[in-house]
Amino acid sequence: MKRLIFALLVFSMLLAACAPKSDSATADFDLADWDSVLAAADGQTVTWYMWGGSDSINAYVDNFYGVALKERYNVTLNRVPVADAADYINQVLSEKEAGVENGAVDLMWINGENFFTLKQAEMLYADWAQAIPNSAFVDWGNPAINRDFGEPVEDLESPWSSAQFQFIYDSARMDADSLPRSYADLATWACEHPGRFTYIAPGPGAFQGTRFVKGALFEISGDAAQWGTVDEALWDEWSPKVWDYFNKFKTCLWREGETYPKDEYELHSLFANNEVDFSITQAIVGAGALIDEGLVPTTSRAFVFDNYMIGDFNYVAIPSNASNKAAALVLANLILDPEFQAAQVLPENGFGLGFGIDVTRVTDPDQVAVLEDALANLGEAATPAEDMAKSLVGDAASPYQSMVEEGWRENVLIGQ
Amino acid sequence: MKLKRSLAPTLLILTLLLGASLLYGLMQSLGYLTIIGEKELSLTAYQNLISGQGTAGREFWASLGFSLWVSIVSTILSAIGALFLATLLNRRPSNFDTFALNWNLAFPHLVWGVFMLLLLAQSGLLARWAGALGIIQSPADFPVLVRDRYGIGIILTYLGKEIPFLTLLILALLRTQSDGYLLVAQNLGANAWQRFRLVTLPLVRPALVSGSLLVFAYIFGAYEVPALLGVRYPRTLPVLALESFTNPDLRARAEGMAISLIIAFIVLMIAGFARAKEELQG
Repeated sequence: MKRLIFALLVFSMLLAACAPKSDSATADFDLADWDSVLAAADGQTVTWYMWGGSDSINAYVDNFYGVALKERYNVTLNRVPVADAADYINQVLSEKEAGVENGAVDLMWINGENFFTLKQAEMLYADWAQAIPNSAFVDWGNPAINRDFGEPVEDLESPWSSAQFQFIYDSARMDADSLPRSYADLATWACEHPGRFTYIAPGPGAFQGTRFVKGALFEISGDAAQWGTVDEALWDEWSPKVWDYFNKFKTCLWREGETYPKDEYELHSLFANNEVDFSITQAIVGAGALIDEGLVPTTSRAFVFDNYMIGDFNYVAIPSNASNKAAALVLANLILDPEFQAAQVLPENGFGLGFGIDVTRVTDPDQVAVLEDALANLGEAATPAEDMAKSLVGDAASPYQSMVEEGWRENVLIGQ
Repeated sequence: MKLKRSLAPTLLILTLLLGASLLYGLMQSLGYLTIIGEKELSLTAYQNLISGQGTAGREFWASLGFSLWVSIVSTILSAIGALFLATLLNRRPSNFDTFALNWNLAFPHLVWGVFMLLLLAQSGLLARWAGALGIIQSPADFPVLVRDRYGIGIILTYLGKEIPFLTLLILALLRTQSDGYLLVAQNLGANAWQRFRLVTLPLVRPALVSGSLLVFAYIFGAYEVPALLGVRYPRTLPVLALESFTNPDLRARAEGMAISLIIAFIVLMIAGFARAKEELQG
């Protein structure tokens, strides 16, 4: 009997530990009055859940945002590194289901798929992204910013940085002149070099693979802009041709297309181990950050096709049950500061993704100089800026994400 | 009776915790997804799986087949290997062998999986040695032993873990028996094969069978090794279930939960079968 009582005690303690905290840390502030936000944030700790798989990105966040937050606003940064964004999405979702009002997450690094999940679950703090002072630097009229993987942003998240799909090759192995410059070229190249090319399998959680396939859809149909809205007839017309394209060179791929790498890291490792000749990146510094992390050879360089290289933005968002919203707002605002936007593109700082702001909106001469200086120092592993700009296209409308993934699985992975 | 009462607290906690999770899982599999405000119950997720439609459903039967293939082959080969190894070790008793076998148990399956990957990949350690010796010219020349369509890498990993486990079970049994039976059989003129078939095998069969069922149930429900060493298609059921659960579209969770429950159901049937067999013999 004693044991039973003991067990019940333990159990009730477990339950108590799971119960929502009752103390409310949310101080009052008015978004229209930024000083009231700063005052509310004073002394708060902002808990930032972000993908923590890159040591150099983690160090950048701590050394730049962490230090500045403390010194300028007396806000402490608690960076929580997570292996997969899906994990903190689940944390927030579980909190919602459990009715937790003072959630553990204050700010999240998200884009596309995760944004869609949280928006679907109505778990995002609303009407703030265009209210923070530095959002004046953001080009909210740009569809690449006000739509995330085609899903309307609707003031629920604020941009951090931009990315564009690029390939990586090893300049010690290949000559820049022999690189394929279109999807058509690529198929030819792959069959001339059997087993030396592969791509990430499109699917949930592997958006780089989906993006690669979408690029082929754009090239084969000859236009990217027409995919900005959903058109069933257009899809039925062109998608079979895309599957034909992939099936035709499937047997020329690594492992003859029997399997595909599941994420960027598996592809980097195949590339670094000399199993395949190309990897991919989304960073403005190209292979630079990956070289610093030792993931790819030091002679790696980035390049793009002549057209149809999809670019997009990634964002930060605040869960609607965040405990320290004021501090989260301060951090989201700091991220858009031209000084930090310049710092984030420089390869030596370790972040390496592109600007989240529209640099032409910056007028302060000192800030302009800092931004221009950063652009001039992207490093030799980066794709030349003019190549990037020339090939840049926006993403397709959001329903195409799953249509491409399902279609590829049905017709290329399983099919034939 | 006394024994049962002392188990009550444990059972209570288990029933509460496990029962609550199971119920929650069952509700989700029926489409009760409070996160997105879905409260209507339906069997759609199960229908999708059975008819092979939808995100996870499209791969369901292939995954079930692949899971069964990996689990059955790993279990049978482990049982045979363990029987062989235990018989061999039983002839020369020492403490060192059980130590070596126990040592293996200390490693999680995931560590074994990573070890196999580093060893057997086309750019792994063996491939590098083969390259250095001039046996192969490029990584692609090395045979595909991990991340292969037939799950060879997964099966090899399980063999490395389960053979020692089953061997320990069998050895424990063999070493508590006296040598009497074997000596009598030998005296009566039984050769080595006859001694194995007529004496050792009947002695260890109960332990071997229930141990194998345990191994099967474990492998059938395990996620990490097939996730690490499997191909994109076909995938095992646990890998498919987790992917559905983490799918950006929250509606995919119903199918993920349905797959998990089907896994649990199959494992429970196996466990029930093992228990029934034990009671029959015990």
